[in-house]
Amino acid sequence: MRFVSFRPATSVLATAALLLIATAPSQAQTRAETLRYVTGASVNTLDPNIPGSTRESFALSMSTYDRLVAFGRKQLNGKWVFDLDTITGELAESYEVSPDGLKITFRLRKDAKFQDGSPVTAEDVKWSLDRCVTAPILGKAQLLTGSLTSADQFKVIDPLTIEVTLPKPDKLALPNLATVYPMIINSKVAKEHATADDPWATAWLKEHTAGSGAYVVETFKPGEQVILKRDEAWNRGSANKPAFFKRVIVQSVPEPATRANLVERGDADLVLDLQASDVQSLEAKGKLKVVSTPQYNAITFVSMNNQIPPFDNVNVRRAIAFALPYEDMFKAALFGRGAPLFGATWPDGKPATGIYPFQAPVKIDLDKAREYLKAAGLPEGFSTTFSFNVGQASTAEPMAALVKESLGKIGIKVDIQKLPDAQMSTQINEKKLPFFTEGIVAWLPSTDYFYRNFYTGNQRWNYSSINNAELAAIAQEARFEPDKAKYEEDGRKLNAIHFSEMPQIPLWQPNQDAVMASSVEGYTYEFHRQVDYRDVSRK
Amino acid sequence: MTGLGATMVRAGRRLLSSLPALFGVLVFTFLLMRVLPGDPAVFFASGPNAGKEEIELIRKQMGLDKSVPEQLVFYLSDIGHGNLGRSMMTGQPVLKDLRERLPASLELTFTALLIALIAAVPLGVIAALRPGSVVDHGVRLFCALGVCVPTFVSGLLLIYVFYYLLGLAPDPTGRIDVFTSLPPQRTGFLSIDFLLAGDLEGWWAACRQLILPAVSMALFVIAPLARITRASMLVSLGSDFVRTARSVGLSWRKVVVTYALRNAILPVITIAGIVFSTMLGANVLVEKVFSWPGVASYALDALLSSDYAPVQGFVLLMASLFVLVNLVVDICYGIADPRVSIE
Repeated sequence: MRFVSFRPATSVLATAALLLIATAPSQAQTRAETLRYVTGASVNTLDPNIPGSTRESFALSMSTYDRLVAFGRKQLNGKWVFDLDTITGELAESYEVSPDGLKITFRLRKDAKFQDGSPVTAEDVKWSLDRCVTAPILGKAQLLTGSLTSADQFKVIDPLTIEVTLPKPDKLALPNLATVYPMIINSKVAKEHATADDPWATAWLKEHTAGSGAYVVETFKPGEQVILKRDEAWNRGSANKPAFFKRVIVQSVPEPATRANLVERGDADLVLDLQASDVQSLEAKGKLKVVSTPQYNAITFVSMNNQIPPFDNVNVRRAIAFALPYEDMFKAALFGRGAPLFGATWPDGKPATGIYPFQAPVKIDLDKAREYLKAAGLPEGFSTTFSFNVGQASTAEPMAALVKESLGKIGIKVDIQKLPDAQMSTQINEKKLPFFTEGIVAWLPSTDYFYRNFYTGNQRWNYSSINNAELAAIAQEARFEPDKAKYEEDGRKLNAIHFSEMPQIPLWQPNQDAVMASSVEGYTYEFHRQVDYRDVSRK
Repeated sequence: MTGLGATMVRAGRRLLSSLPALFGVLVFTFLLMRVLPGDPAVFFASGPNAGKEEIELIRKQMGLDKSVPEQLVFYLSDIGHGNLGRSMMTGQPVLKDLRERLPASLELTFTALLIALIAAVPLGVIAALRPGSVVDHGVRLFCALGVCVPTFVSGLLLIYVFYYLLGLAPDPTGRIDVFTSLPPQRTGFLSIDFLLAGDLEGWWAACRQLILPAVSMALFVIAPLARITRASMLVSLGSDFVRTARSVGLSWRKVVVTYALRNAILPVITIAGIVFSTMLGANVLVEKVFSWPGVASYALDALLSSDYAPVQGFVLLMASLFVLVNLVVDICYGIADPRVSIE
């Protein structure tokens, strides 16, 4: 009797299994030609220029639009990363920089077509670049860093030639044109949807695309998923053929554990934002490919507000720098997955390199920290708060606990403050946080760019609110320094000031762990820190 | 007929009397969002080069450059025109977002409530019939377990077992497999839309996606429902009319189901109404774990980024739903116990 009573259960299981098998083969064909990418974030606009657009929106636009030029790629410790120093043509067949560095002439590809079939002309390029520097959109502030500020700088020479004029020979002008914002839009289509209030069609382009990119948007559900279809005519890839995957599905899966399950079961092909612990266990199992690249254009640091007592005293900042348990923090927060920026040895006491970020000669040394505190006139220590935002909690929370414990040993009492993301950015903007952790990223990671943007001026990204005239002057000068050796020398000076002033303490460059099916190839770490779907293929 | 008419009149009166409360909720949420620390403009201007100019731009876009009373007037007049504002997060009008996401939440909540009721009422009745027995203790243990395991834990566990280990469930990513094409939208409830379109394969796919999240939500609410059923069944079983019914030799079924349960069901309906409203707002964890595109996870994301319009829209929606659910509960009362409508 017992066996009989078991039967319904098994038959239900069998039916379920049959149904699973029955649905599987019909998908197999397209599945291999489809890239399913899952992410915790989401795409919220099809035009990355819209204020508030997410990083996933940036990545999407790289595939739906072309730019004049693109970054090449290079190998860094065996991993493919984008290469700031190699600029290749995308819509431009070739480009030429005049000897004085004040003029860049782009020749467009004759065969380039927008997704609606019309040819890409110099008029479209001019309209798109004009839009970027004139319309109230994000591109404006970005192109400013490459001395591109006005529509007068872009001149149509003939239907396939466009000339860009610069006020100064700016090294970052060309790389800026390869970033996310100056994408080339089909101006005829966009103008049809422009209104008197919105001459640059920002509202329409937010929900529609009019580009010449490798992929066409098939469905766009903000906050849920985007499905892309390959444009068969696109040939701006390296080998003059369309992108590999016929379809790309970008899907939002908020729960990191679910993302890990999906990729492990083979239902998803690629994921970037897993928890460090999941990455470690997936790597140990060896079934999947894990590409860990130190994000060489990003830095995580502990920052101190140099204007708020007691952190206005350089000796207090130095004391903190020698009281942090770097190794433990590195292990607890990142499981050691990243490139450390601590623990260097400078035999002659001078920076070993002119590149920022640099590895600094700091390590935990509580006696030294106590001495610095004494020198600051605070031998008994003080009380302060240490803040981080909820979005970073998985790495910042264990880190904060270690900071609190270690600083407690030299008499500094720390209260940990976990702030919602919007609140944290507001307080940083208002310069109200004394002591906190944050991360920064630069799309165009050159030493002067980092120092100018993150260490000068009374502005939001100057997290430590440092106000050092010498540093500002050298960084400004380095921007237009054509001589490589002098530039390196400037970099060393800047790094030396950074170390002696200790405005904030760079900790590490976290790895970006791309976890993918073993059949996926060609993954490259891009400047926008997302996947460029055009890079990847399946074996 | 008069009973039904009286119920409708009462329902109408209730609806009218809830309008001031709705208005209060509206204004209160509006003010609360502005009092909360955190400037949405700063948060959304987080591009790598966003400076003061971008922040001002977004502030203007969101209407935050005006004074709070002015903003309130604009907001109320917008609401009057059926415009709930625009979400910065998704870039879409809030009304459109909510309209797309509400059916997902409702479908999940209804299914979960149905599962919970189907499990809880018999469990409660059985426990009440044999108080103090092994069965009673078993039910109590089951309820305690259900309530003390948070929904996201049970959700993750179910995913681990049925998706990861056994491979029986489909991948827990939303309402439908990404490779399945959607039916033409009629009700927004996928399980109904697929049936209307006559697509049985699609219907089965949608149901399979629905089962795990619905069960993990149901597990959490079985406890209150079963406990209330048990308590109220005990009272009803011990009452005079049941003793009379038993003594005149009515069948077991008639005594328990028709007389005892019908009298005991009132508090269960009340609790089910409350449970439903709470579930709709509180299922955010389940929605997150199963990537369910519902309203609760939408509101949470909006709240974390201080995106005012979606949060206000969500609270208004929830308040209106609460009013509606209470109305439905009132009407159910009338059906379960005709005496109620006399009041």
